[in-house]
Amino acid sequence: MNKTLLGYVPEHSPIYVIHPFVKLFFMLIVSLFPILIYAPEWNAFIMFVIILLMWFSRVNMKTLKIYIPVAISMGSIILLSYTVLGGTHPEYELLGRFIGIKFYWERIRDAIVVYFRILPMIFTMVFFLSTSRERDVIVAMRFIKVPFVVTYVFAMSLRSAGLVLEDFFIIRQAEQARGFDSTGKPLWYKIRKYIMYMIPLFALSLRRAEEFTNALVARGYAFTGEAAKVKRPDYVLTHYSYKVLDTTLTVAIALIFVTILVLRFGFGYFTLDTSVFIAWLSQVL
Amino acid sequence: MSSIIEITDFSWRYINSEVHAVQNINLKIEEGKFVGVIGQNGAGKTSLAYAMDGLIPGQYHGIKKGLVKVDGIEVEAYHKGVLQKIVGMVFSDPEAQFTAMTVEDELVFGMENLGMSIPEIKERLDWVCDLTDMTPLLAKPPYEISGGQKQRVALAAVLAMTPRVLILDEPTSMLDPFSRKRVFDVLGKLKREQKMTVIVIEHSLENLIPLADEMILMSEGKLVLHEETHTFFQEMDFLLANGVYPPETPLFFHYLKKKGHYNGPIPVTNEEALAQLKCKGRN
Repeated sequence: MNKTLLGYVPEHSPIYVIHPFVKLFFMLIVSLFPILIYAPEWNAFIMFVIILLMWFSRVNMKTLKIYIPVAISMGSIILLSYTVLGGTHPEYELLGRFIGIKFYWERIRDAIVVYFRILPMIFTMVFFLSTSRERDVIVAMRFIKVPFVVTYVFAMSLRSAGLVLEDFFIIRQAEQARGFDSTGKPLWYKIRKYIMYMIPLFALSLRRAEEFTNALVARGYAFTGEAAKVKRPDYVLTHYSYKVLDTTLTVAIALIFVTILVLRFGFGYFTLDTSVFIAWLSQVL
Repeated sequence: MSSIIEITDFSWRYINSEVHAVQNINLKIEEGKFVGVIGQNGAGKTSLAYAMDGLIPGQYHGIKKGLVKVDGIEVEAYHKGVLQKIVGMVFSDPEAQFTAMTVEDELVFGMENLGMSIPEIKERLDWVCDLTDMTPLLAKPPYEISGGQKQRVALAAVLAMTPRVLILDEPTSMLDPFSRKRVFDVLGKLKREQKMTVIVIEHSLENLIPLADEMILMSEGKLVLHEETHTFFQEMDFLLANGVYPPETPLFFHYLKKKGHYNGPIPVTNEEALAQLKCKGRN
């Protein structure tokens, strides 16, 4: 299994045939689709396609279960925000009252529409992170000539997140070993004593920064001066070739995006008025 | 042979510090030598190493006196990134040295900084992977491998830049004995097969002594002894007085010598000791 940013993908997954840039392009462009699409059934269709792609890429589908509580919580928060906290709107169609709260058809409809527009974006991101390693993201960025410094800072950010967590666990264990343990204590106590972890963590982070700088200097990297003017060859890119399939997929994604744009703004597709689901829901409620 | 490193009356005091980290250092290291640097914690070993790599005064604030020349040029006169083509540095904490997401990217990072061509990088990558047995690890993230492997990656990453001087600052301080031996096996290969100048700051003397041509003892910021390895360990009383605890073999022969049971030179390795004992037996 190959470790990805969000899990593992088998070593022989078909996803590796695709150039990392295509995956990044897919994530960036497909994430825009729900912005253009209001009709929930079309957004549900995007989610279905992404699940199919995950299955095709041999992503461990069991890991998707962890997103169910997130999806439920997010849905509940959106629904509550639009209905219970939605305010009074005399111009809307009142469906009923419950303990003094007015429930309008338009607010319920909007909550569902927003929910179904956010979900495909999350699905797209999960698909990308489940099938991409850190290196893939770097390769994709360097492929489109993003400056080395930017890709480097991005890579270091990914890496430092793990390092900070590791340092935090070390500090916590060291403090537990000396009798300081907030396990089982009230939340307010934990918040007050959190500083006990934060100060050493901050000091460690400063030390890490110094060590990183020394390592960079020792490896001949410089942000300024003659060394910064050296033309860097990108060795990592030699492992990846941009094939006909990649071009085809990139063009296909771009074409679908343009088609959606044209259908949406030229012919009025994907709007609430044309939504079969919303029409059905309107009748039900 | 010419001196690749020449240090004259060098002193360094970190800003906000009352005492000198290193003081009045005079040292010449000839090209191609394998030099061991020992001394207690706080003796100034790391500061001396940083001075040779230009990290002092480049990355630290402090007061410098004297000259530190590498290949005949004062370290401060080198442009940024140029000195690192000559001097490579491996730090004690391997984790803190990683700058890339896979072992392969880590190994090529330095070479990319030097602006090498892709075929040259490929050639050197193959060479360094053979030397350090790194090929099976290339695709792995450097922070997911064992401590010993991490330090070999750090060493390989610097070796790939083929510096003329390689400085290792306590490279095995975080490793188990087996991993330590593997790191020193690589250094042994380097000594045999390359003409690289190697300077190793190390507490693990049993691994260092068989490889070292010369030894340096630092104490309280001063260079107190610099001799060829065999001569260095004849000064056993001086070493013990300065907090150095040599390996059992030379220590045992020193004990025998003190008790009047042995009057020859103190052997520094087990092989030499065995030869001495055989020789003694024949006499």
